[in-house]
Amino acid sequence: MSGRSACIVGVGETAYTKRGGATESEYRLALHAILAAVADAGIEPAAIDGLAPFSDERSGPWTLAGDLGLDELRFATTTAMPGGGGACGALMEATMAVEGGYAETVVVYRSLCQGQFARIGGTRAAAEEAAPEGLATTALETEALAAFSAPYGVLGPSVMFGLPMRRHMARYGTTSEQLGHIAVTERAYAAANPHSVMGSRPLTLEDHQASRLVADPYRLFDCCLETDGACALVVTTAERAADLAQPPVAVLGCAQGADGAQLGGPMANAGSSAEGYGTGGGARVAARLYARAGLGPADVDVAQLYDNFSGQVVFGLEDFGFCGPGEGGPFAASGALGPNGSLPTNTAGGNLSEAYLQGLNHLLEGVRQLRGTSTSQVEGARVCLVTSSPGIPTSAALLGRP
Amino acid sequence: MSERWFPDAMPRPAVDADTAPFFEAAARHQLVVQRCTACGAHRHPPRPLCPHCHAFDVAWEQVSGRGTLFSWSVVHQPFLPQLADKVPFVVAVVELEGTGGTRMTSNLVDADLAALAAGLAVEVVFEDMAGGLTLPRFTPA
Repeated sequence: MSGRSACIVGVGETAYTKRGGATESEYRLALHAILAAVADAGIEPAAIDGLAPFSDERSGPWTLAGDLGLDELRFATTTAMPGGGGACGALMEATMAVEGGYAETVVVYRSLCQGQFARIGGTRAAAEEAAPEGLATTALETEALAAFSAPYGVLGPSVMFGLPMRRHMARYGTTSEQLGHIAVTERAYAAANPHSVMGSRPLTLEDHQASRLVADPYRLFDCCLETDGACALVVTTAERAADLAQPPVAVLGCAQGADGAQLGGPMANAGSSAEGYGTGGGARVAARLYARAGLGPADVDVAQLYDNFSGQVVFGLEDFGFCGPGEGGPFAASGALGPNGSLPTNTAGGNLSEAYLQGLNHLLEGVRQLRGTSTSQVEGARVCLVTSSPGIPTSAALLGRP
Repeated sequence: MSERWFPDAMPRPAVDADTAPFFEAAARHQLVVQRCTACGAHRHPPRPLCPHCHAFDVAWEQVSGRGTLFSWSVVHQPFLPQLADKVPFVVAVVELEGTGGTRMTSNLVDADLAALAAGLAVEVVFEDMAGGLTLPRFTPA
């Protein structure tokens, strides 16, 4: 590791609550999370010289820079990897800035209070604004691709992501019960994490199977939470990290990308092969990530796999080489993702049971695992894989204990 | 007027120069997809450029309207109040016959939900909505 190699040296988060539970504004939560992250690192806020949000972040870098009293904001970016595809992409861009010498200390952050603004899922939010006769101009009308999905009732992410999962089920025999094992495993991890939103509410496979269908194949407990909260992490050089408060966690590698099948998003269909539809589309992102880090799936001790829906974990397991194509359902149902399994996964409860920070909370949990401070600590964990959303342009990262 | 399955108060599609012929054909109860005049590749949804040969020129080819069910989601949650008495309904991805595997997202109507399976033979039907909009949907063949 060279002196400029990127490390994560601080993490911070607000309380996570159910949607509508935040007692302060989304913007104030962003400030709290960033201040907590730099305090954890043992640096002054003024030392931040880069900010890297992602997705549809409303708390803008330049406003934050002023309120945080930054000396100079030298680097600010928002990755083009959309929505939940972007958390690891933001980390990648922070890493590029630090390792390239364009900035010294970059904060990756996400503040998301779905109780204060429209709920996530642009098509639905826009649809809710449709006039009673449905004839008004809506935001949908500016989205050429949504024009060929929303009018047919693709009005929420559960439908959009349910379609490729149903294809996977039809092709490989993946079952709802297998998806239920993912939800149950994540809930059990959340029970150990006092910061999680759902930790106090046990979930059994029977509960999962009895829960209402939202958009087949996804039932209520296959769907991620809708929460209020914010989190942040601090990236700087290994040289600087050596003087800071926390043991640094190395960014061993990052990758972004989109297979042709995903270029237009899962609804586009354009360019997607029959084989590519109903996969996560991230196999080449995985290959680049492993090559860059000089590691493979067998080196991964613990994983945080993006889970806006339970089946997305199946796609992640397959794309990142923990099992073969079509084997993700049985792999998940085998107990492999649990605390005694071969690949403990989403050990803070994930998007399904900790909170929905679009996967930046997955990166924070990765850091905790490598510091040895997770509430479901994997003994001796040295390498953690973190992924962003399958099925859309996405990103991933490998973190390590130096 | 056609048979009706969905309320008028649904999100309406954006129509622009690249997509208008699709909706104009649907209004005539014809199902068309774009076909590149240079390399012959079909594509849907309509886009301005052929991703294979980069030709802008395109023909709108009427297809048979027959196809097979490629994937689907049975929607149970009424995302809009006006869908409360329409759920469950089926969002379908249909592979269109004679198009080199081109797929179209639409609905499967009048279908036995217990009989949904990949490869189910389907055929197009048209629903005339308010305001001059017609949408193609599919029904078991």
